[in-house]
Amino acid sequence: MAFTEPVLTKRIPLDASQRKLIGYDDYVATGGYKSLKQALEMPPADIIKTVTDSGLRGRGGAGFSAGQKWSFIPKEKKGPHYLCVNADESEPGTFKDRYLIDHDPHLLLEGIAIACLATQCDIAYIFIRGEYHYSAKVLEHALKEAYAHGIFGGDGVLGSGKKVECYVHRGAGAYICGEETGLLEALEGKRGWPRNKPPFPAIAGAFARPTVINNVETLMCVPHILERGPAWFKTMGTPSSPGPKLFGMSGHVNNPGVYEDELGITLDYAINKLAGGMKGGAYKASVCGGISMGILGTNQLDIKLDFDDVRFRGGCLGLGTAGMIVMNEHTDMVKALRNCVRFYAHESCGQCTPCREGSNWMRKILDRILDGDGKAADLQMLMELEKTMGIMPGTTICGLADGTAWATRTFINKFYDEFALRCPEAPTKTIPLKVSSGRLNVLTPMGSNTR
Amino acid sequence: MPWISEDRRHTRVAEGQPLLTESLKAVLRDKYFPRYPSKRAVLLPALHLLQHEYNWLPTQAVQEIAEFLEIAPAEALDTASFYEEYWLKPKGKYLLQVCRSLTCELCQSEQLRDHLSQKLNVDPGETTADKRFTLVELECLGACGTAPVVMVNEVLHENVTTDRLDQIIAALPEDPHDMKDPGMTWDNDGH
Ligand SMILES: Cc1cc2nc3c(=O)[nH]c(=O)nc-3n(C[C@H](O)[C@H](O)[C@H](O)COP(=O)(O)O)c2cc1C
Ligand code: SF4
Repeated sequence: MAFTEPVLTKRIPLDASQRKLIGYDDYVATGGYKSLKQALEMPPADIIKTVTDSGLRGRGGAGFSAGQKWSFIPKEKKGPHYLCVNADESEPGTFKDRYLIDHDPHLLLEGIAIACLATQCDIAYIFIRGEYHYSAKVLEHALKEAYAHGIFGGDGVLGSGKKVECYVHRGAGAYICGEETGLLEALEGKRGWPRNKPPFPAIAGAFARPTVINNVETLMCVPHILERGPAWFKTMGTPSSPGPKLFGMSGHVNNPGVYEDELGITLDYAINKLAGGMKGGAYKASVCGGISMGILGTNQLDIKLDFDDVRFRGGCLGLGTAGMIVMNEHTDMVKALRNCVRFYAHESCGQCTPCREGSNWMRKILDRILDGDGKAADLQMLMELEKTMGIMPGTTICGLADGTAWATRTFINKFYDEFALRCPEAPTKTIPLKVSSGRLNVLTPMGSNTR
Repeated sequence: MPWISEDRRHTRVAEGQPLLTESLKAVLRDKYFPRYPSKRAVLLPALHLLQHEYNWLPTQAVQEIAEFLEIAPAEALDTASFYEEYWLKPKGKYLLQVCRSLTCELCQSEQLRDHLSQKLNVDPGETTADKRFTLVELECLGACGTAPVVMVNEVLHENVTTDRLDQIIAALPEDPHDMKDPGMTWDNDGH
């Protein structure tokens, strides 16, 4: 593995004062839209194969193979296909997509055009969260340039006759619209209620037509893969998690911000080499990829940040969006968990009882513990509730509730003493964290094997 | 928490001049209808458009949009009431939005909230008596690298301190439409 030069951020200077919006002319002058020309010469199946061979895994949270996802789209076209670009980015700790869009929007547009050629999509909707006012304007501006230069609309992509339209669709302040089927509902003008699957979006997604949903960063990798080949992509990262990755570093670090490196760097490296070290005290814990993934504990600085190590050795749900919220030794873990749980209680869409009611119970219990009225039963109830909610125990429609569960589980598992201290009669013995040695975190109906 | 139902007994429906004017209809018809295979999909953009125009969404506006998109008013209200960004009751000219999620909390966002609360003499969720400011706390604004952050209407302010907050508020123009996003270096024709 070797990460020698920036890839996704190659046009964005490290020095913040030098950064500016890269327009169409600058983009083309630095090699932009070359991959798109190349893609026009390739049959769609070859584009999909190249992306599959690169091992690119989705950067939106789930880490699913991008090429494989594209291959699920029916080859025979019986009506329109759609691409939905997931720029909803509302997971606390995540701010990488905004960084990419605000500086290099044409890289996204090129990725979109290529993805549309590969999956025969007619329309791409960039679903951007409502709060990203500036980013939405950046995209509108970039789209105007792209339309003027024949990337979208008109006589097809660069005059090829394969017509692709691309529009910005703004969300309106709901985290749940980041979930892919919640996003589709919002696109159709309904409340962002996630759908039961199947049918999967590849068969019946937006407007009941085959639909691809990809994260911004995933699509931005695609032009680079086409240009430099899958083998080059695999020189970065680990065998199962190849490629470059943006890491969003925030919280108690000296230089918070978005940093690009390869997958598989250690947490220690991310904090001390990328983000300039700890601020205000020694390292205590870090959210490992948006709060839904849970936290890495004090003795876990050696965990590798790729799609697997954070799960198998780290005991978290996954790498998620690689947004690290780093906490120093003075952080109150009970309060930090209350903050996370309040987020889920607020953002639950309300369809499933364990998620809607469970998260609110948990918030109330944590409020009580913080107020100094914690009891042993409170801690027990928290741990019981956490096991009953999510797709994994099979009680909810979408993964938001799994986020609630994993945040709670990892906070309590890894900082049990701190919680027990606030709940006077709770047994003080630390529950040891058993870490799975198997290939997967096998989940039983009532919880996971990390306990 | 969108599943909490609101008391709408005193909701006033269509009266007086239409809010969805012919020129706004033209925007929807010319710009947004061609984008989607269904009219209902224009609902979110339409709500955004009218809220931008009137600062909030009176029920009359929601009803007129529903008629224009050929859906039931209840369907439009169902969608509108789900999303936090749509205000179905009046708000102040300036919406002061303090991020309260984990990174911002670690970076002392609570101080900012309390400072604003004291300065304006309102609790989060309330509007000042002169209707100039509404203070709200909301979840992650996606700018954790520059926490704590505060968004005033559509403009994001990063690495905010209480002193900077005072300056930001003092510098607000009389009319919110005169606000400029300092990042914008090109002409924009709006959404
Ligand atoms: C509650 C919830 C919120 C999500 N939010 C986002 C998001 O904001 N952005 C995103 O790209 N993916 C988000 N996802 C993941 C998407 O459902 C989907 O897996 C992803 O957009 C697929 O793109 P990828 O394969 O390129 O990663 C979320 C998932 C869940 C369950
Ligand atoms: S798990 Fe929660 S957010 Fe997801 S569909 Fe159910 S209630 Fe909604």
